[in-house]
Amino acid sequence: MRSVTLRVNGGQHALTLAEDTPLLFILRNDLGLNGPKYGCGLGECGACTVLVDDVAARACCLPVGLVEGREITTLEGLGTPEKPHPVQAAFIAEEGAQCGYCLNGMIMTVAALLARETQPSDATITEALRYNLCRCGAHVEILRAAKRAMQMMAP
Amino acid sequence: MTEPRTTADYLATGSQLAVVRDKLGATSPDDVEIFVIVSGDGRVTAFNGHVDLGTGIGTALGQIVAEELDVAFPRVTVVLGDTERTPNQGPTIASETIQISAKPLARAAATARAALLARAAERLAVPVSDLSITDGVVTPPVPDNRALSYGDLIGDDRIILRIDPEAPLKPVADYRVVGQKAARVDLPAKATGGLVYVHDVRVPDMLHGHVVRPPYAGVDVGDFVGTSLIGVDQSSIADLPGILAVVVIGDFIGIVAEREEQAARAAERLRVTWKPIPHLRDLTDIPTALRENPSTPRELSHRGDVEAVRAAVAQPMDRTYVWPYHLHGSIGPSCTVADFRADKLTLWSGTQNPHMLRADLAKLMGMDEGQIDIIRLQAAGCYGRNCADDVGGDAALLSRAVGRPVRVQLTREQETAWEPKGTAQLMEVRGGLDAAGDVASYDFSVRYPSNGAPLLASLLTGVIPPVPMVFTMGDRTAIPPYSYGALRATAHDMAPIVRASWLRGVSSMPNSFAHESWIDEAASVAKVDPIAYRLRYLHDPRAVDLVKAMADRVDWVPHTEPGTLGGEGDILRGRGFAYAVYVHGQFPGVPAAWSAWVADVEVNKTTGDVALTKITVGQDSGLMINPAGVQHQIHGNVIQSISRVLKEEVTFNQIAVETKEWGGYPMITFPEIPPIDVLMMDRQQEPPLGVGESASVPSAAAIANAIYDATGVRFRELPFTPERVRAGLEAAGITSPPAPMALPAPPPAKKRGLWAGLGLGLAGLVGIGTLALPIRSAMAPIAGPDPTLYSASTIARGKMLAALGDCAVCHTAEGGQPMAGGLPLETPFGTIFSTNLTPDVQTGIGTWSFDAFKRAMRQGIGQDGQHLYPVFPYDHFTKTTDEDLEAIYAYLMAQTPVVATIPANKLAFPMNIRPLMAGWNALYLKTGAYQPDPARSADWNRGAYLVEGLGHCSSCHTPRNALGAEIASQRYAGGVAEGWEAPALSSLSRAPIPWSEGELFTYLRTGFSPLHGPAAGPMAPVIHELQALPDSDLRAMAHYLASDLPPVSVEAEKVAIDTADARNAGAMLPSAGPGGRIFQGACAVCHAPTAPPLFGVKPNLAFNSNLQSASPDNLIRTILGGVPKPAVANLGPMPGFGPVLSDSQIADLVRFLRRQYAPGQPEWADLDKTISRLRATAFHAGP
Repeated sequence: MRSVTLRVNGGQHALTLAEDTPLLFILRNDLGLNGPKYGCGLGECGACTVLVDDVAARACCLPVGLVEGREITTLEGLGTPEKPHPVQAAFIAEEGAQCGYCLNGMIMTVAALLARETQPSDATITEALRYNLCRCGAHVEILRAAKRAMQMMAP
Repeated sequence: MTEPRTTADYLATGSQLAVVRDKLGATSPDDVEIFVIVSGDGRVTAFNGHVDLGTGIGTALGQIVAEELDVAFPRVTVVLGDTERTPNQGPTIASETIQISAKPLARAAATARAALLARAAERLAVPVSDLSITDGVVTPPVPDNRALSYGDLIGDDRIILRIDPEAPLKPVADYRVVGQKAARVDLPAKATGGLVYVHDVRVPDMLHGHVVRPPYAGVDVGDFVGTSLIGVDQSSIADLPGILAVVVIGDFIGIVAEREEQAARAAERLRVTWKPIPHLRDLTDIPTALRENPSTPRELSHRGDVEAVRAAVAQPMDRTYVWPYHLHGSIGPSCTVADFRADKLTLWSGTQNPHMLRADLAKLMGMDEGQIDIIRLQAAGCYGRNCADDVGGDAALLSRAVGRPVRVQLTREQETAWEPKGTAQLMEVRGGLDAAGDVASYDFSVRYPSNGAPLLASLLTGVIPPVPMVFTMGDRTAIPPYSYGALRATAHDMAPIVRASWLRGVSSMPNSFAHESWIDEAASVAKVDPIAYRLRYLHDPRAVDLVKAMADRVDWVPHTEPGTLGGEGDILRGRGFAYAVYVHGQFPGVPAAWSAWVADVEVNKTTGDVALTKITVGQDSGLMINPAGVQHQIHGNVIQSISRVLKEEVTFNQIAVETKEWGGYPMITFPEIPPIDVLMMDRQQEPPLGVGESASVPSAAAIANAIYDATGVRFRELPFTPERVRAGLEAAGITSPPAPMALPAPPPAKKRGLWAGLGLGLAGLVGIGTLALPIRSAMAPIAGPDPTLYSASTIARGKMLAALGDCAVCHTAEGGQPMAGGLPLETPFGTIFSTNLTPDVQTGIGTWSFDAFKRAMRQGIGQDGQHLYPVFPYDHFTKTTDEDLEAIYAYLMAQTPVVATIPANKLAFPMNIRPLMAGWNALYLKTGAYQPDPARSADWNRGAYLVEGLGHCSSCHTPRNALGAEIASQRYAGGVAEGWEAPALSSLSRAPIPWSEGELFTYLRTGFSPLHGPAAGPMAPVIHELQALPDSDLRAMAHYLASDLPPVSVEAEKVAIDTADARNAGAMLPSAGPGGRIFQGACAVCHAPTAPPLFGVKPNLAFNSNLQSASPDNLIRTILGGVPKPAVANLGPMPGFGPVLSDSQIADLVRFLRRQYAPGQPEWADLDKTISRLRATAFHAGP
């Protein structure tokens, strides 16, 4: 156990814990965040996706010691129900989810994509989402949402 | 204001109108279930016993209530299934929420509306028939200011009404809310991280639990269930912090800890011994397994004399169709919070069936149902029955053990292995055509080995016996929808083989696969167009309308043989049709929506890959409450079912489910989604039908029929993987067998490594040792470290040099104080423990003088005159200058002393005789500081000093002789470090792109070379330490190491990069085989160059020398253990796959990687043995 300072959604958090603790457990259990979800613990499904210094990261298998001092953004840090981020607004408008358990990963992955590329092609979008699994089969609506987000954020 | 928790809370509220019905067997007038409440403030709350499994039923039910009550949709809140508040309407299955359980809700809303209208009529003195309602405001014929809202009409009254079965429902023509798109009410919270799911529940004082499941994963019948535990060794987790309880009851084991990661770590680590587990039936052969499973025939339908007609048919057509085990595959493993108090259990659960779970828990816990309160929250979509109930039992037991609330989160592996599978199914048709090509006889039988999957905790604890139970659910859509001459349908009811339960399209999807494939086969034999042939036997007018509408939609071209759509090159095109009506519920069941599919495919006849180019799906759903929701459901069904049909299959080992994660169970991904065209029949005047599953049902047959249309080959077993399709095409002579891809394995080479083979030379060493006068004098001790002796800058330089020497890497135990020693160093002759290098006077080097230290570094002699073992690389350290040695000494003596007694070495004779090392030194040790080579540059000499001295690179990267000394003639030809292969750094390097000075520097500086890979295994801590060195030193090291290497040409590099691109692209093809699919599902997210950026680096396997090596050890070690601690944080980690992939899955993966990325190299031999050996080896993965 040691003390670790984390920067999450603009706030600072001092915690005492084992440095190999997966970031996901800390976000959910210590910081009370609901956005990132536990799905597989292996980085395969993407449900736990957060941004670390604006790059997507799979929090379920990311030891917290590796992200000390970096800026971590979760779904909560993107926007709120009252003031959603354009990607969140696009997913709500296009109903880009059924059960919604994978939704965090979809939104964070699209947000990371649009942060590095403002006008991705359809192929780029599908490739960017390839490693995010959805069991309900909401893929059609998710792709629509990604495109709507792209249009909303167009420079 | 907190939300009311119970029915009584709701009924106690004033100023409202509640519509209720008496509970089954109610004993008092208050014993009621609420359906609708209209509050004095105009809000409406609707209650339904079903749950929203991610299908949006909450939205649709709200629309129905808003419609019947004439209020705007946003006023309505829907409360779904929990035991204290909502009606008991049975489990949420078979898409029946809208079709069945919405009916009393609509009637309840209508009851409320009628009562409110009656009140208004009385107050306004106007006949009810003259009143109109707009959004809960009742107005008389001529609008005036006497309009009354529902709130006005309720006032302060507390009105409780029984549902009036005669309350008039609105005519469909008047619908304003139903039939319109309604925005999903749940999404804003889900998209912004609101508290939505059971996983998000946190209660005060909550602890975390994890379970440890028995080895018979996914099996729940047989005497061994609940009785196989031999023992739990709690000492195996005694050193872990935060553990509050280990609960063992029968075969149930659970751990409760303060923190989730503590519970998870303890569950991984807990040593448990189990009795041998009996073997399962061989599930690689599903037809035999299901035929041999005892069964009871149940005749579902019999028209005409099937046997007699069958005996006389002109063209017999007996066919067998095989369905594999499928996962429900919830993306979120199940989770529950349980709070057990003296007389009450509160459970926050994602169950599909709150009322059933309550009964199960009452039995498990020995409680009355009334003592159990289940609060239902959403969970990940489950499409049937997953572990949501099971985890409730687990959490209840753990909470009772510790007397505090406990949250249990199942792992991915537990959810996948133990979820009650969608069962395998065997369909057999004995049938035939008459001389005119008409179906004369159709004798259908189905075997469906499934049960309801009893609560796991009850089975594991022995509360209920693990006896086989039979669920008669194989009969869904077992009777074909066609009017064949003679027909018989028989369900062979049977107990499960492995834990299995209903999954979307339960038994109907497989049965329809058989019906719709068979009729397609019959049409082909009869030389009739497949749609025209179906219409001969299809008389249900809505079905006929749908089939014809679909034919129009796709411009169906009638045809009587396959191959009419042609193709080019390896591609064959085909189109297939299938139709079904999903009949659900207890036999004879209730039909849900009609559905039909047209699948367009391209089959690659060389690879066997089946690409869907378009799916057209038509559905007659009757009235669609929320058409957008229906379309969403259809999309979901199409996508999920094509995934099941093309890709999915649970695998088993001899005793249990093998599948534990998504690499071994690939699901469809975004790039594979075909365009989907949905045709929704306009039937808004007809009653609503279930739409949750129908569109899945025709999927398999439509695709099988399309593959047949493309290739003329019929596939009757799922999934249609490229291997299966290719084998079928080969058998049919359409394609020829592939050329072998990789060279055969060579005969096994002899193992070599650091200290390996040392035994061979021991006899000689004894002789030499005797000659070399081993006894050396002790050095006088000093009183202790003198902090004033050295300057801060000397100490700082010493610290850097100690890092270069990797002192801390070996002299720090796992989890121990830095430099305090105690790390066990495994050698073939026993274990040597590293010593305490802190300046503690008793246990460390506190009494060592500089001269003693210098002698140790230069000659390998301890302070006491004893020889040290050359696992301590004094043969390199000897090259260090006096000045640098003094700086290191200064640093070591300036550390905080740590008292740490080091365990005695465990070496066998004669290695335990230290003086023998004198002989070794006489042979191999050249003492003295490095002497620069005047012919070389200053940079080169600096590099040589660092690399050959403190850096001691060749200790690992040079092979050793029989006496464990580096072989001078084979410098940097590759060696072994802690069981890992240390690759060659000479021209013998197998790196696909030869190392250049620049890449060597990049690698040493950052821990990662894009053209080679990251530092891992024992090299990770080395790179970590090198971070202390300045660029200039690392450049010098790179310069020196590269000086003997051939130059790298730009052209050669480009060729290698192009080759790598092709290999990476090939790795992502669907035809990559089972190992390739594991790569795509588990590895490619971080290793495919085309994958989007993720935190950390993306090691390109095409450049990685481990895949080119003669030995698979490094690759297998990395797969098993991952890279939990990268050399540098920003390289990112790799999780270990040892716990989730079986030996045979890893062998598939490794074989694939070798073929794909090292096609010029021979296959690795004996992979299975190597994998199990490495799995058993505890290896040191870095500090």
